[in-house]
Amino acid sequence: MSSTLPFWILNSARNSIATLQGGRRLYSRCASNRNKSRWRLFSQGPGALKSSAPCSGFALQKAYRHTSTEEDDFHLQLSPEQVNEVLRAGESAHKILDLVSGAPNSVLRFESNQLAANSPVEDRRGVASCLQTSGLMFGIFDGHGGHACAQAVSERLFYYVAVSLMSQQTLERMEGAMESMKPLMPILQWLKHPGDSIYKDVTSVHLDHLRVYWQELLDLHMEMGLNIKEALMYSFQRLDSDISLEVQAPLEDEMTRNLSLQVAFSGATACMAHVDGVHLHVANAGDCRAILGVQEDNGMWSCLPLTRDHNAWNQAELSRLKREHPESEDRTVIVDNRLLGVLMPCRAFGDVQLKWSKELQRSVLERGFDTEALNIYQFTPPHYHTPPYLTAEPEVTYHRLRPQDKFLVLASDGLWDVLDNEDVVRLVVEHLAEASRHKPDLAQRPANLGLMQSLLQQRRAQGLRAADQNAATRLIRHAIGSNEYGEMEPERLTAMLTLPEDLARMYRDDITVTVVYFNSDSIDAYYKGG
Amino acid sequence: MFSRLLSVARRQRTGRGWQNWSSGRSGAPAAEAHSVALPAQAQVVICGGGIMGTSVAYHLSKMGWKDIVLLEQGRLAAGSTRFCAGILSTARHLTIEQKMADYSNKLYQQLEQETGIQTGYIRTGSIFLAQTQDRLISLKRINSRLNVIGIPSEIISPKKVAELHPLLNVHDLVGAMHVPEDAVVSSADVALALASAASQNGVQIYDRTSVLHVMVKKGQVTGVETDKGQIECQYFVNCAGQWAYELGLSNEEPVSIPLHACEHFYLLTRPLETPLQSNTPTVVDADGRIYIRNWQGGILSGGFEKNPKPIFTEGKNQLEIQNLQEDWDHFEPLLSSLLRRMPELETLEIMKLVNCPETFTPDMRCIMGESPAVQGYYVLVGMNSAGLSFAGGAGRYLAEWMVHGYPSESIWELDLKRFGALQSSRTFLRHRVMEVMPLLYDLKVPRWDFQTGRQLRTSPLYDRLDAQGARWMEKHGFERPKYFVPPDKDLLALEQSKTFYKPDWFDIVESEVKCCKEAVCVIDMSSFTKFEITSTGDQALEILQYLFSNDLDVPVGHIVHTGMLNEGGGYENDCSIARLSKRSFFMISPTDQQVHCWAWLKKHMPEDSNLLLEDVTWKYTALNLIGPRAVDVLSELSYAPMTPDHFPSLFCKYALHVYNEVMSVGQKYGIRNAGYYALRSLRIEKFFAFWGQDLNTLTTPLECGRESRVKLDKGMDFIGRDALLQQKQNGVYKRLTMFILDDHDTDLDLWPWWGEPIYRNGQYAGKTTSSAYSYTLERHVCLGFVHNFSEDTGEEQVVTADFINRGEYEIDIAGHRFQAKAKLYPVTSLFTHKRRKDDVELSDLHGK
Repeated sequence: MSSTLPFWILNSARNSIATLQGGRRLYSRCASNRNKSRWRLFSQGPGALKSSAPCSGFALQKAYRHTSTEEDDFHLQLSPEQVNEVLRAGESAHKILDLVSGAPNSVLRFESNQLAANSPVEDRRGVASCLQTSGLMFGIFDGHGGHACAQAVSERLFYYVAVSLMSQQTLERMEGAMESMKPLMPILQWLKHPGDSIYKDVTSVHLDHLRVYWQELLDLHMEMGLNIKEALMYSFQRLDSDISLEVQAPLEDEMTRNLSLQVAFSGATACMAHVDGVHLHVANAGDCRAILGVQEDNGMWSCLPLTRDHNAWNQAELSRLKREHPESEDRTVIVDNRLLGVLMPCRAFGDVQLKWSKELQRSVLERGFDTEALNIYQFTPPHYHTPPYLTAEPEVTYHRLRPQDKFLVLASDGLWDVLDNEDVVRLVVEHLAEASRHKPDLAQRPANLGLMQSLLQQRRAQGLRAADQNAATRLIRHAIGSNEYGEMEPERLTAMLTLPEDLARMYRDDITVTVVYFNSDSIDAYYKGG
Repeated sequence: MFSRLLSVARRQRTGRGWQNWSSGRSGAPAAEAHSVALPAQAQVVICGGGIMGTSVAYHLSKMGWKDIVLLEQGRLAAGSTRFCAGILSTARHLTIEQKMADYSNKLYQQLEQETGIQTGYIRTGSIFLAQTQDRLISLKRINSRLNVIGIPSEIISPKKVAELHPLLNVHDLVGAMHVPEDAVVSSADVALALASAASQNGVQIYDRTSVLHVMVKKGQVTGVETDKGQIECQYFVNCAGQWAYELGLSNEEPVSIPLHACEHFYLLTRPLETPLQSNTPTVVDADGRIYIRNWQGGILSGGFEKNPKPIFTEGKNQLEIQNLQEDWDHFEPLLSSLLRRMPELETLEIMKLVNCPETFTPDMRCIMGESPAVQGYYVLVGMNSAGLSFAGGAGRYLAEWMVHGYPSESIWELDLKRFGALQSSRTFLRHRVMEVMPLLYDLKVPRWDFQTGRQLRTSPLYDRLDAQGARWMEKHGFERPKYFVPPDKDLLALEQSKTFYKPDWFDIVESEVKCCKEAVCVIDMSSFTKFEITSTGDQALEILQYLFSNDLDVPVGHIVHTGMLNEGGGYENDCSIARLSKRSFFMISPTDQQVHCWAWLKKHMPEDSNLLLEDVTWKYTALNLIGPRAVDVLSELSYAPMTPDHFPSLFCKYALHVYNEVMSVGQKYGIRNAGYYALRSLRIEKFFAFWGQDLNTLTTPLECGRESRVKLDKGMDFIGRDALLQQKQNGVYKRLTMFILDDHDTDLDLWPWWGEPIYRNGQYAGKTTSSAYSYTLERHVCLGFVHNFSEDTGEEQVVTADFINRGEYEIDIAGHRFQAKAKLYPVTSLFTHKRRKDDVELSDLHGK
């Protein structure tokens, strides 16, 4: 069984034509992976897969790119070290050391990782601390139909939130600095992984729009700024409307114009958390998910979901959609578990195809964009009568952190498709347990060479089992490497990682995971200190 | 840390001593030493107070240069020198390295007597263990080369190993090499002793003084800028070790010095119950990747692991190498290897794991010489953890180079100019040193190619050739085809193809050679260095006639094969020059000449000349058609008449198009691709010597039978003419000779490589420089220089043709001597047809 996939890859590499036969287990996985692609219309490959998956087999023709005459160059079997290298490439981890008014931060550290299936990857992530107000922000942005929208949202959303939270006084200072052409004080400090796409400094257009936003906030004359919940609500919707307006406004610079078009015509779901002391807010639009790992006093672990997926399996969403559109559309607004039969999530940034009127879409695109070169999908779904069908309005959850809340997991749907909430909590807990089970310590150094050698060999043996230092890596490893019984299969893991670029997306989605650990002591102290 | 532990007491004593030198004349107390103002000018400024810098200072001052300033950013001998394991080993792979180590050994031995500073020199000898037959072959090769340069060594049995070292487990050994005169010494103390001697000779030493950058005007060093002020100088010597790369780049005119540091670990233990004797031999177990020496009754053991940890990729500005983190987990495989070799050590107490970074270079050889970009900027760095062994000899060669203009030995293998700019990127270096460091203890077999940092430069035909089965080798960063594997043929995996015997590509190259001889082959030779030299007036010819030894005043369109000689008549370059027009010349030189040749031309062109020199290497693809049908193929493609005697020089655009046309027209003549191995076999069987391999800066045209390619009788002056005239009168002291191995079984015997000793009538007479199997003669052919060492004095005497012809010769391959026939001229019967044409052709090849 376990050799099916590697064997198949072998064939695909050698013969240029891959035939997959009777891979029953894989099949079940393929078939159960409901959303191989968000945009069903556009991705022929996954679409074909979906329709043919229930059959007994399918043949897939694929041109294998011969990169070298040496077939040996094509490593079919990765060594465990190479597997680790591939998995760990996207790792990042930070300890949060800064104190919040003298007390340790409620966030102890975070660990994050990303594994691409799309090429280029369409997921984005962001971690930043607000410099003008307090609080840390963690975000996961899952793009579809390209990465432009996810990239833009990951670059810009946190700025909108940070500005929304600023006091009147801070906003005035910002405005003052802008007026007198002085350098703006820093708004955010990003904690980036070196491999994350470089965040462009807020371009002048974006900054202008941000400035319009804060000018409007100034006009509201609220001394303390918005509360966090409002700030998150407004920021999501404001950014989405800016994305939508930017492409309608005449832009002179062709680069910016093309970019904003790509951003508006692709989409991204977003899930972000704002942590300030014991106040945890999670805002979600789409099918990324955030859960909390909770350890009760009796030591039992449980899972507390902080978001609800906005998709066709969510009754509340279905009711909302039905409520927002005329009764005549009840049967057409969700078709085949997709919004208008095309989109998996029912809330997202961008995707103006599902937000604008047909006329607006046409008039914007008729302005002479080279849509083909920009990779933009121009279409109107059937039964498109009462736009907008899609919104970026988030659902915001507030949770007051308790000492028993140990960690928060934010991840894109690539993870949740294959692991459920309990699996994820269990894996992180196992990870914590392993990390606390120390390797044999070198601090009390054995005196002689023989003892040292056996100690080192023990350490090495232990090290091999606990391959992951990073909980996010562990989650990804299990997400793609476990069979249907939840057991790790190294062959499967290797096979999934060696899938050729253009096939990877059929077997797995981009996965982005951020695990945030809370400092129970400092939360405890918060309650005791009042 | 180690040497600090080693000699705490001594350091304090000598420490005060050297601080006094910096303020020598005033006799100020140590504390004020750094407040002493730097001199405003000096002839030479040496940067780096490690063993390299002090050795250069020592030798320069010995050779009579007095106006020398040595600057050290921290304290003397505080970098890698301080952490050095202190093993002096003469068993090196290159003869030049053996000679440097041998000289160092002799220098250090008498240093204590000379300076009164204790250096801890103890002659322990060293034992190199072989766990495999291949390793033993490798040791035997080194052994036979050590013996002929007068370093005693012998191959010994495992039983003898056990007698020499009581603690060694010898059950898994097949043999070993014993070098009895190798030694251990404290490298920090050697550096201090060298500094002390230099200071007595007038060298001024300043510590805690950092060089910020070197000032350059018109491509010439004018001074250095330090954190304590400026010093004007003529010469600058970069001996900055780990910091050399960044120091080189800090100039306005950057000097690229390709090296990169890796962490290196060794273990120190407390004394054994019965403390080890201080003369217990050093053990190198390369198959186990470790070395072991006695250290204060205990042992010191380190190694070169398979998975090195490169550091300082982004540069590091710390003053001294802080004691870096110990990484026991990383050391575990080496520790296990040590305990396998010396099981009794299990109960030995640990003292410390030392982490001392070492610098490595892209080809495992050290870097010395003058920068091609800046005159007066000298470099001596990148010791690949053999700094102690090389410091004495390398310092001497560099000092000779600066004082006399050239070192007394050919050091091309170590010359900074062997590298191009592409080999200086941090990423390249980081990847490459991760391959180089393990290679120190890997088996070194013939025709080994580096695997990392490849495809830096490629021909436009690379993809076409690769798709046709080309296997690649790299020269100066350029990918060149070795041979073409036919589709139906399988070769061994890389690791398994390592052999000292007949290689697996033997038949492949045979068919390529055969095709060259009977039909026609095409070889992509785009890697060749190509320069265009033009002038508005007649200066080009005038100047080139002075720079080159052959007569270049030939009709337009003709090609001349000529050397570019130095004052001593030795080859600085061996090249072909095509006369494109009256005033422009096209120069084709070996691939690795790109930097060296450029620097030489720049240096020797008159400053005021309006000569235009352009490197056009990348502009041209060079295709070489070899074989009796080559002319037929070309005639079909071109309207220009082509005969062997009248061959036009043609330049076409569109390399790929030309290649495709040649291949399609050539089809009916049986054309195929051939690689450099075929070319090599062809050129060696034709006795065609190559620069960089057979020829170097110390060999003259007269010594390799190329008198006819020198315009001695034309009454024209050129560089090296006087030396050649004198040599012509006095006779030569060595002669390039071709040897055909007689009783050598290609299938069963070890193959010759290069560097094998040549014996004449049982007496050592020289070494081979290159070798190849000749598919025509069905014998191995070696090229090599025959000397005439006087039996009584060992002095070199004149070598005549008669002397060569009257000898009985043997070539020593790893201790086994094979009979060889000596030839002074190519075997003419082989090439009955069209001698003249082949000659012209070969002169254009130059590949190797």
